[in-house]
Amino acid sequence: MAAVELRGLTKRYGALAVVDGVDLAVEHGTLVCLLGPSGCGKTTTLRLIAGFLEPDGGEIRVGGERLSAPGAVVPPERRNMSMIFQSYALWPHMTIAENVGYGLAVRKLGRDEIAKRVTEILTVTQMARYADRYPAELSGGQQQRVALARALVVKPETLLLDEPLSNLDANLREEMRFELRRLHDEYRYTTVYVTHDQQEAMTAADRIVVMREGRIEQQGTPAEIYERPATEFVARFIGGTNILRGAHLGGNRVRCAGIALQCGQGEVAAKGETAVSIRPHEIRLSESADGPGGNRVRGRIERQVYLGPTRDYLVRLPEDAAVRVIADREIDIPEGREVTVELPAEFCRALPT
Amino acid sequence: MASSGARRLELAVPVLALGAVLLAALILIPMGWLGYVSLGGLQGGLTFGNFAALVRNPDMLWPLLLSLGVAFAVAVVCALVASPLAWLVARTDLPWKRAFRLLVMASFVTPPFLGAVAWEILAARNSGLLNEAYRLVLGLPRSDFLFNVYTVTGLVFVLATYTFPYVFILAANGLERIPAELEEASSILGAPRWRTAARVTLPLALPALLAGTLVAFLQAMNNFGAPAILALPAGLQTITTKIWTLFQFPPQPGLAAAAAVPLLAVTVLLLQAQRRLLGRRGYAVIGGKGARLDVVRLGRWKVPAFAFASLVVTVAVIMPYAALILSAFSRRLTITLEPANFTLRNLLFVFTELSGTGSALRNTLMLGVTTATAGTLLTLVIAYIAARGALPLARWLGFLATAPLAIPSIVLGVGLFFAYTHPPFVLYGTLGILFVAFLTIELPIGYQQFQAAFRGLHAELEEAGRILGAGRLRTLRDIVAPLLWSAVISTWCLVFVAAIRELSAAILLFTADTKVLSVLIYDLNETGEPGAIAVVGLTMLLITFAVIGVAYALPRSWLPLQTNTG
Amino acid sequence: MKTRMAWVGVLAGAIVVASATSVQAGLPAPTPVTDELVKAATAEGKVVFYTSVELVLAENLSKMFQDKYPGISVQVERTGSERVFQRIGQEYAANIHSVDVVNSSDASHFIYWKRNGMLQPFLSPEMAEDYPASSLDPDGAYAPWRLNISAFAYNTTLVKEADAPKSFKDLLDPKWKGNLVKASPSYSGTIMTATYETLTALGWEYFEALAKQDVMQTQSALEPPRKVASGEREVMVDGSEYFVYALIDQGNPLKVVYPAEGVPAITSPAAMLKDAPHPNAAKLFYAFLFSQPVQQVMVDKGGTRSFHKLVKDRPDHVPLAQLKLWPEDANAVEARAEEIKSRYRQLFGG
Repeated sequence: MAAVELRGLTKRYGALAVVDGVDLAVEHGTLVCLLGPSGCGKTTTLRLIAGFLEPDGGEIRVGGERLSAPGAVVPPERRNMSMIFQSYALWPHMTIAENVGYGLAVRKLGRDEIAKRVTEILTVTQMARYADRYPAELSGGQQQRVALARALVVKPETLLLDEPLSNLDANLREEMRFELRRLHDEYRYTTVYVTHDQQEAMTAADRIVVMREGRIEQQGTPAEIYERPATEFVARFIGGTNILRGAHLGGNRVRCAGIALQCGQGEVAAKGETAVSIRPHEIRLSESADGPGGNRVRGRIERQVYLGPTRDYLVRLPEDAAVRVIADREIDIPEGREVTVELPAEFCRALPT
Repeated sequence: MASSGARRLELAVPVLALGAVLLAALILIPMGWLGYVSLGGLQGGLTFGNFAALVRNPDMLWPLLLSLGVAFAVAVVCALVASPLAWLVARTDLPWKRAFRLLVMASFVTPPFLGAVAWEILAARNSGLLNEAYRLVLGLPRSDFLFNVYTVTGLVFVLATYTFPYVFILAANGLERIPAELEEASSILGAPRWRTAARVTLPLALPALLAGTLVAFLQAMNNFGAPAILALPAGLQTITTKIWTLFQFPPQPGLAAAAAVPLLAVTVLLLQAQRRLLGRRGYAVIGGKGARLDVVRLGRWKVPAFAFASLVVTVAVIMPYAALILSAFSRRLTITLEPANFTLRNLLFVFTELSGTGSALRNTLMLGVTTATAGTLLTLVIAYIAARGALPLARWLGFLATAPLAIPSIVLGVGLFFAYTHPPFVLYGTLGILFVAFLTIELPIGYQQFQAAFRGLHAELEEAGRILGAGRLRTLRDIVAPLLWSAVISTWCLVFVAAIRELSAAILLFTADTKVLSVLIYDLNETGEPGAIAVVGLTMLLITFAVIGVAYALPRSWLPLQTNTG
Repeated sequence: MKTRMAWVGVLAGAIVVASATSVQAGLPAPTPVTDELVKAATAEGKVVFYTSVELVLAENLSKMFQDKYPGISVQVERTGSERVFQRIGQEYAANIHSVDVVNSSDASHFIYWKRNGMLQPFLSPEMAEDYPASSLDPDGAYAPWRLNISAFAYNTTLVKEADAPKSFKDLLDPKWKGNLVKASPSYSGTIMTATYETLTALGWEYFEALAKQDVMQTQSALEPPRKVASGEREVMVDGSEYFVYALIDQGNPLKVVYPAEGVPAITSPAAMLKDAPHPNAAKLFYAFLFSQPVQQVMVDKGGTRSFHKLVKDRPDHVPLAQLKLWPEDANAVEARAEEIKSRYRQLFGG
């Protein structure tokens, strides 16, 4: 029995289904990431799980017990969950210690016990020196840690995070990504984490659930999602990719960029054009004029950007196709030069949609 | 923001319904009566005759045109005076900015009718203090004078003096919101200060400026006290004094009601325009938040700018208040500064002999307190539901709560008179009818304060409490209440201050036993007891400043202190 | 004194024309002020007095009453006669009875109120004895509380006696343009009556000519004396003579002039309301108002003229016998009030 189960969960605003028949099982102690662009329904799903919204269809079960269904929603305060909000939602009129201790006070713990646990969690999140300060005196990153502490200290059955890092600057975000994962490993609360940032998802999640327009597009481990995207959308969203399109030539060959491309993985589309995905750093470039054959095609360098450890190329292919290639620094081909582009079959993934 | 759980809606529904019914009753009943009476309901059959009379009868048409003309002139003057002042205070390094802001606030809380009384003392053609000083200094004969307050110009001047703060506040706030980079971009390209001000700052601040000017127009058009005091000696009637005249016994209710309708129509139209100009942001912060914006250095313009600002506040506040104080302690009718002219007799008369004082004070304070308390509670509940509720009715509730802004006070007074002198609710003759009038008029002030407060109060703050296990009531107690506490206090104070200075509605609804201070001042002015008028007027101002002082002295709230132009 | 009474009697007789019949026939028996009455009045604790007499004088009289009868407070509502009429009308139309005793300088209102059964006939022994019978309402519904006179007045520091106007015609001299002040018949009963009388004598042509003089308008008949005293205007066209004297007493540089064509005289009656909320206190106060000490104070301190036979004139008052007083006609005022007000408004505004 999974810790958190969503069955056919639906939420409509007017005629629009913002969450459209979502089925999801979150295993106990795992961190599941709801990932997708804005408007995909991930935040709404999270708020449904929290009990702030009432579903229009389907149900939510936690620990086997039904917590949400149309017309029957257990209020948030009785779901034994915890949440970190995008704005942190620290109460400005309480000190850090009071903020963190609030959930414990509500659970009617004794003052000494509260003080002990607050000190403990503040130490873990490295905020102990700020216990008597007010939120307005703290920086964004510090506030975020306090929000974290406040959510963790009550030892919730389920932990919900709503884009907790999006208000931080890039450096801090990177640091906090690891911090979150570390804390999860230590405490092992069942966690649902919403984000639009795929790097966060890759770092933190046990399983990633890619959502699009209210539905789950694909779910799996980070490796599965990255290496075996099931659709063009997922392929683009995770890791960035090149998409070449063409007619199916039978078997596993697709006509793209003037050649019959062999696809080593994936499925062709049932009808119409098939898309083929290949990641920028999986493509090989060479100046030597190796003959065509295999998945090789002649192209011209249109743009080269020096990025430090790598170079970012835009290569123009026949039939007006173009691919982006990320190569090692040593491969330095100037713009305008003709090159041989090799698209190894094992990395070409045919996508049905 | 979406609603928070099914449970909350259960309790909210009956409260919502009650609030909606209450609001609807407060507003729709008098307006319904107004429409009925203006269409001749009290004269038998329904007819447009009253409206025809309004246009055909010069006795009715001229006052209407005069009101519109005066309002327009006032709006222009306000815009011309308030915009540079607002720019100086909001965006430059003008010295003593805080003092200027405070003085503008003092002008804001002075009721125009009291300002009119003060300016009578200062600028009556022959006996006015300013004219006397002018003649003295220049050795001119009696026939010469500098100012004559008993003219249309005088009326425009006095009204402008006490409505320009509306423009000032909105313009200043609008200016503060302009990011400094926009103006810096202009300066860096070489534009001199004035050019930047004209080509960059002004257009960006224009919506707020126009919005404020519209409010000033409406305030001037709908005012009763100042024209009643200044226009009559000049032999003029505005539409508001005309309505009041038509109300005298035996009343001509049909004409009076019909005369009220154009005021209502113009007000509604202009408010729509204003809302579109301001967008949904509504009203803004006052109180001089430390300028994080780059200030414009005035350089050699500092002295003239300071002189200008000083002139404005002297004219608006310092001189009139001085005139009132002098009059209050003056023995003779000609005010002089000789020690022999000083007397406490007027003070004694007002507080020990004048039989109306005690009851007027009691009534005013009681009405002020009850209106403020009831108004604060009602608008808090409505604002909370409107801000957090998801039901479509919630938005209509918010609309109803601000609807009274569109109804001129004297028009509301007319409607209330008809509504509550006929069965089933006969409130006339009791303080009840005044309470209903004041509450209805001041509702928007309270609602806008709390609306802004809730906007500053992120829903996630409450959600954070709930997800940690605190129920709705506990969240209200631990989180919402402390954060809104200063908004509650400041709203209470604002409603109190606004209620005690209300004249336009009170003048139609009071009886001997239910007189309030504003009506007392008006009565005394008709009788012509200058010393007594000044004493009562200063008393009212003292009460006002005391209450405002309390509001400002509160510990710095967690949310910004909001004021609006209600 | 006898001549004064004769004049007063003739004068007051005019307001009684409406109530025809024989002079003494309908008068109620005089009601003396007994201890029971005082006790009952004290139990009521309060009396409400609507009056158009000057405010400070009214409050002084109230204080006298409160000193004499401790425990009964007096609430004075002072406003112009026309407003008094409007307020009572508005309140009674809404079934609100808050006023006990009323005084107004528009005698026609008392005719109206009596006709509508709103007044309570009452006579104290002193009133029956010391007031000319012809001056009282035959049914005792109201009685003349004071006599008001509308006269000219000028500021002695601004106008030399030789230059001061002596007649209505003098006021039309261009030199007075912009220097005159007068009150309005829409607010003041004194001026309502005075306007009627002036109109009767001089016609609307006079007012049309006067309107061209840029006359400052006030509401109350008490305002012109103030405006002249403060120097805002030099001459008052009309206004309450008694208040001019009160201001002179306070040291203001004023002097009264009685116009040669004639002087408007205005009887200012008082009455009790039948639906008075404090009927016993009302009776006590009403009797008090007409008593000799009170009437004397009104003359000495207030500058008014009295109908009471035993009240002595002020030394600086010109005796009534020496003035050419115009006759009053309250009936005519009642009939023409609206027309006069309207036409006046057209000429002078307001």
